[in-house]
Amino acid sequence: MVQPSSPPNPGRRKFLSYATSFLGLIGTAFVAVPFLSAFKPSARAEAAGAPVQVDISTINSGEMMVVEWRGKPVFVLKISNDSIKLLSQIDAKLADPTLETPFQPEYAKNAFRSRKEGIAVITGVCSHLGCSPKYYPEAGSTDFDPDWQGGFFCPCHGSKFDLLGRVYAGVPAPTNMEVPPHYFSKDNILIIGSDGVS
Amino acid sequence: MAANEKKSGVVNWFDTRFPITDLLERHLSKYPAPTNLNFWYLFGFLMIVVLAMQILTGLWLMMNYTNTAEEAFSSVEYIMRDVEYGWLLRYMHAAGASAFFALIYLHMFRGMMYGSYRKPRELIWVGGWFTYVLLCAEGFTGYVLPWGQMSFWAAQVIISLLGSIPIVGEDLATWIRGDYLISGITLSRLFAFHVVLLPIMIIAVVFFHILALHEIGSNNPDGIDIKKHVDKDGVPLDSKPFYPYDITHDIYALGVFLIIFCSVVFFFPEGGGYVLEYVNFEPANPLSTPAHIVPSWYFTPFYAMLRAVDFALFGFTAKFLGFVTMAAGIAIFAALPWLDRSPVKSIRYKGILSKSFLAGFVISFFVLGYLGAVPPSDLKNLLAKVFTVVYFSYFLLMPIYTRIEKCKPVPERAPGY
Amino acid sequence: MKSFLIVLLFSSFSYSAGGDLNCGSIECDDFSANTYDLASLQSGLTTYMNNCYGCHSLKYSRYNRIAKDLKIPLEIYQENLIFDGSKPGELMNISLNEKDAIEWIGAKPPDLTLEARIRKPAWIYTYLRKYYPDSSRPYGVNNEVYQNVSMPNVLEDMQANLSVAEFDKVIYDLTNFLVYVADPSANTRKRIGVYVLLFLLLFTSFAYLTYREFKKELK
Repeated sequence: MVQPSSPPNPGRRKFLSYATSFLGLIGTAFVAVPFLSAFKPSARAEAAGAPVQVDISTINSGEMMVVEWRGKPVFVLKISNDSIKLLSQIDAKLADPTLETPFQPEYAKNAFRSRKEGIAVITGVCSHLGCSPKYYPEAGSTDFDPDWQGGFFCPCHGSKFDLLGRVYAGVPAPTNMEVPPHYFSKDNILIIGSDGVS
Repeated sequence: MAANEKKSGVVNWFDTRFPITDLLERHLSKYPAPTNLNFWYLFGFLMIVVLAMQILTGLWLMMNYTNTAEEAFSSVEYIMRDVEYGWLLRYMHAAGASAFFALIYLHMFRGMMYGSYRKPRELIWVGGWFTYVLLCAEGFTGYVLPWGQMSFWAAQVIISLLGSIPIVGEDLATWIRGDYLISGITLSRLFAFHVVLLPIMIIAVVFFHILALHEIGSNNPDGIDIKKHVDKDGVPLDSKPFYPYDITHDIYALGVFLIIFCSVVFFFPEGGGYVLEYVNFEPANPLSTPAHIVPSWYFTPFYAMLRAVDFALFGFTAKFLGFVTMAAGIAIFAALPWLDRSPVKSIRYKGILSKSFLAGFVISFFVLGYLGAVPPSDLKNLLAKVFTVVYFSYFLLMPIYTRIEKCKPVPERAPGY
Repeated sequence: MKSFLIVLLFSSFSYSAGGDLNCGSIECDDFSANTYDLASLQSGLTTYMNNCYGCHSLKYSRYNRIAKDLKIPLEIYQENLIFDGSKPGELMNISLNEKDAIEWIGAKPPDLTLEARIRKPAWIYTYLRKYYPDSSRPYGVNNEVYQNVSMPNVLEDMQANLSVAEFDKVIYDLTNFLVYVADPSANTRKRIGVYVLLFLLLFTSFAYLTYREFKKELK
């Protein structure tokens, strides 16, 4: 093997080696950008997940409509006047009746968890293990609750929610069901998936 | 050698179980490279980088590509438009294919100039040649995937060639297609070859190629056997460790290469129609052939040979003979180690005949490459015939001209760095 | 022989890579795209949506991508340039269906998203301006660039009402828009490319100096 003479200028040699290595590392980091960015939702996924528009004038009082947004069911319901009275009476049975944990947008931290009185907008996915709870609006005695006040019951593991998606205390589900971002573009036109401008 | 050096506990733990330090030293850091290597020895390293890049970008493209006749074309446009930076990944992959071929041609020419295929490096050469053949298959299958007009008709032409083989040809072509025409079925299987089978084979053969090279040692521009003069550790006197003397050269070369490569990717992604063909922006249409079908630039020399053979002979059709000529043009590289009978390896010490024939080979490769890219005419066809003969004479006459010419004496020791 | 080869090389080089250089029987008029001219692209988009989109889809492109790239506010875009209630994120593939097209025109009008990459922009620019009356054709017009074309001269009225220069500008903008939509990432690509090359020049300079420094040791 060739015997190298001692480096003519060790300081310069060290500086150049480190500078080149450093630039190489920066270059590698730049190269990673397109590869990582390509994993983000594509324009197609964004389009598929775009806000959906619902005309709520067709929903009768006490009825529910299921809308799909980003592959999940969104429950839109008009709560009947009878039910509205019951809602305030069940607070004691609920885990978080005052909506302290932010499972709804800030503007929906109100009596109906939505932008409009008497309308509930809930992502219909149980906060336990992701099943979709069933709608049992009528108050009275049921198989799962002798003193049912109307709401949602999850068939998978028996979690109970009221009509606003607030979770009962002592059930497997730990938190309220989420409220998706939404706003009303006109009086009866609900947009799910966007907070709107206001 | 490494006994005196201090090793950390972790490295020691591994080394007793798997000699990783020794392996890295033998193949990388302390690999003794001849002192007289020049820039022709940079292309192998660059190809490793390009191979890694093709695998990475290919993986990412595959995540978004759809391998059906209905969806393939639009899925490529989906990558180009809807996937963030998808255009960059696609352009890199397309330009990477062209870069790979440019580099491998330079790399092969280096071997031919300096006699790198000569004993004891025959297997290294044949392994490299096999990589080239696999790369041709990889290039062809990849070319079909965007399912544009050029993709479709190139596949049609190449697979039809198999149909010219006497007796079994038509059945073979149908079997390869899996259909009576080029269809989604064909696309699916070419896709599977392109993304799984061929890459695995290429990686395996490249691994063998490099392993064999590091066991035998590099040749050099003078074709001197540097192992004749070794120091007390058995390391050749006319060698220098790969790290840092060659790696710094390679990194510098990588910078120059990337400047050229990125200029193409960012400013001329279509490469004037040679990297991405204009016609291929039109979806495949089995009912309408484009006016000019040309293969990718890296296949045009062989395509010209195919077209040059327009006569039947010995009861074989022109089509079959053209196919055989084309295949032979690629296959004959593998025979080089046994065709060369010269007492010296490098062109530097060979005689005027070897130099002339090598020059003839280079000229014919370029002229055929040009002729294969343009529409045929009588005159061009004649030229293609002449240069096909020149091309093959380099190989077939080699056993004669390398023996009769007068060579210069090879120096005992390699010239300095 | 050598000079002959060189002549051969140069004479055929320009059309060796495919694509149409000639505009049919005539030479193409000069066209130089400027995809940084947003006003031109917006004008081209408007012409396209009002006159071409009824038959020619842009099915690989999305409405909102064009709105974003051409800096048109989405509400204005939605009100004026989306006619069928499509959502802004959708692909622009609403146009004449194939059956109707074959019945009315005799052929399915091609999708034009990639037209400017298949044909040279100069071809499109020349073609759209070279219609001439020909009573032997079904629509009474023929084209110097594309003989016996099946498309009628959609912009005939516009052409009649505008001066030659004004009409040329309309077609310039339209062609410019097609160049943009064929490769919408081109501006971004070139912008990033400048930074990439500057970085690589810096890196390569340092790599070269390092290489030279180590090489000195072996002398």
